[in-house]
Amino acid sequence: MDNHSDTLLSLEGLAVGYGRQAVLEDVNLRFPRCSFSGLLGANGSGKSTLIRTLLGILPPLAGRIAFVPTNGGDPVLGYAPQRESLDPIFLLSSFEVVLMGVCGRVGPGRFIDKRERAWAHQCLEQTGAADLSGKQFSELSGGQKQRVLIARALATKPDFLLLDEPTSGIDVAVKQSIMELLRRIHQEQRQTILMASHDLPAVRRYIGHVIWLHQGKVLEGPTHELLAPDRIEAILDF
Amino acid sequence: MNTLREVFDPNFLLRNSVYISVVFGLTCPLVGVYLVLRRLVFMGVALPQISSCGIAFAFALQGWGLLPHAHETPGEHTLAFLGSTFFTLAAILLFSLLARRGCGSVEARLGTAYALAWAWSVLLLVKNPIGEHGLLDLQKGEIIAISNFELAMTAGAFSLVAAALFVFRKEFLLVSFDPDMAISLKKNVLGWDAALFLLIGLTISISVLSAGPLVTLGFLLFPPLTAHLFARTMRQFALLASALGGVTALAGFCLAYRWDLPVGATDVALLGAIYALAALARNTLARGHISIFGHANQARRG
Repeated sequence: MDNHSDTLLSLEGLAVGYGRQAVLEDVNLRFPRCSFSGLLGANGSGKSTLIRTLLGILPPLAGRIAFVPTNGGDPVLGYAPQRESLDPIFLLSSFEVVLMGVCGRVGPGRFIDKRERAWAHQCLEQTGAADLSGKQFSELSGGQKQRVLIARALATKPDFLLLDEPTSGIDVAVKQSIMELLRRIHQEQRQTILMASHDLPAVRRYIGHVIWLHQGKVLEGPTHELLAPDRIEAILDF
Repeated sequence: MNTLREVFDPNFLLRNSVYISVVFGLTCPLVGVYLVLRRLVFMGVALPQISSCGIAFAFALQGWGLLPHAHETPGEHTLAFLGSTFFTLAAILLFSLLARRGCGSVEARLGTAYALAWAWSVLLLVKNPIGEHGLLDLQKGEIIAISNFELAMTAGAFSLVAAALFVFRKEFLLVSFDPDMAISLKKNVLGWDAALFLLIGLTISISVLSAGPLVTLGFLLFPPLTAHLFARTMRQFALLASALGGVTALAGFCLAYRWDLPVGATDVALLGAIYALAALARNTLARGHISIFGHANQARRG
């Protein structure tokens, strides 16, 4: 990707997987600040595994993940997981789910103050989900849940926003509105975004850079180059 | 009403049993809420029995002459508490390790542990002339002989558990709801999980020590399961479960006293009846809700 001085995150010789079983090996990537990257590939290609490794949920099997410190500190990662991973047994309102995003700045046993609560409300407004604030998260539709989870990721005040399949299992119109929302966040807030998806048609118009995972290999490049019809054919054939 | 007046009389012989029952009723459901939320109901079944096995083992060590006899109540109490706590915490640690390594299914692990703990409790009891009598009462859920020392210890420990659950509710909720998010926020998920399970283990050990595995299991699971049917928020869930536990404990004690029944079994039977009625009411309400809307829609179309 672009110029080295503006890199937020670089991966050097990274291997990711579960236990000793590598899903992806020798991954070398750089993510410039304010980039909007799509992590594409079929189900089981290693998208979620790579995102979970970047977040620190899974340890890397080999190689190095280097975040370039922001304002002297470690970068904050905002994460929107696959919404099916959250158990509906929890009786949480959408606002309470978003409030979890501010927990990184609030010490153990401390109350969440008015300023942070106002910020959580503001994040819900930014994602067009303010009217869902008092509704139970488990009772929302797929698209509504996704807006709330993006609001929660924004509530962390992230340097890097990582989204895992935000458009899966929702209808075309809602997919488009979610992608429009992400484009707005990217452009207005100059947010660095990495989004995993297996839905190429839904995301290709919005992302500036593509990382394609295919049969354990990693291909990357600007969207218009990598997703050109002849390149796609070549990729799918290799 | 007369029974209620009688059990609250300061000179009532079994007043400590009343107080401890209510303390159980109020506190165990607060811990049980997390077992329900984390879908660890089977653990709530197995752990009290494992804890009970720990008490039987501690007394067996005395019976085999491996530990000196503690004739005074506090000494026996401490020994039983150590046995119960050690077994409970060791079981939690073992379950966590097996879960991490993906050995077998959760149900199989907990079911096996439950059956083995029950069998060993009985085997250790029948061959132990020292602990046999009191422990058999404990297995049946007789909450009768509660000393002031036991009451004070239990109330103190449960207050600490309740306070910790309240103060750190934000952290416990985050690591229970979305541990991945918690890791991305640089929270020590393993540490918070350990703290939560320590509180669960401590509550179970103390409860089993004073009231036996049956009562502990009943108060851990029934009030949260019942409260979950009606609660709309986490706060309502915890408060409703705790209030239901406290009220049922008192009502159960009064019924047991009036009809000369074992307190523990009466409490659990009452909790079960309330749960069944609540589930029925919830289903009826849900059906009524649908039919009301169905009629409204038909009327609008008409």
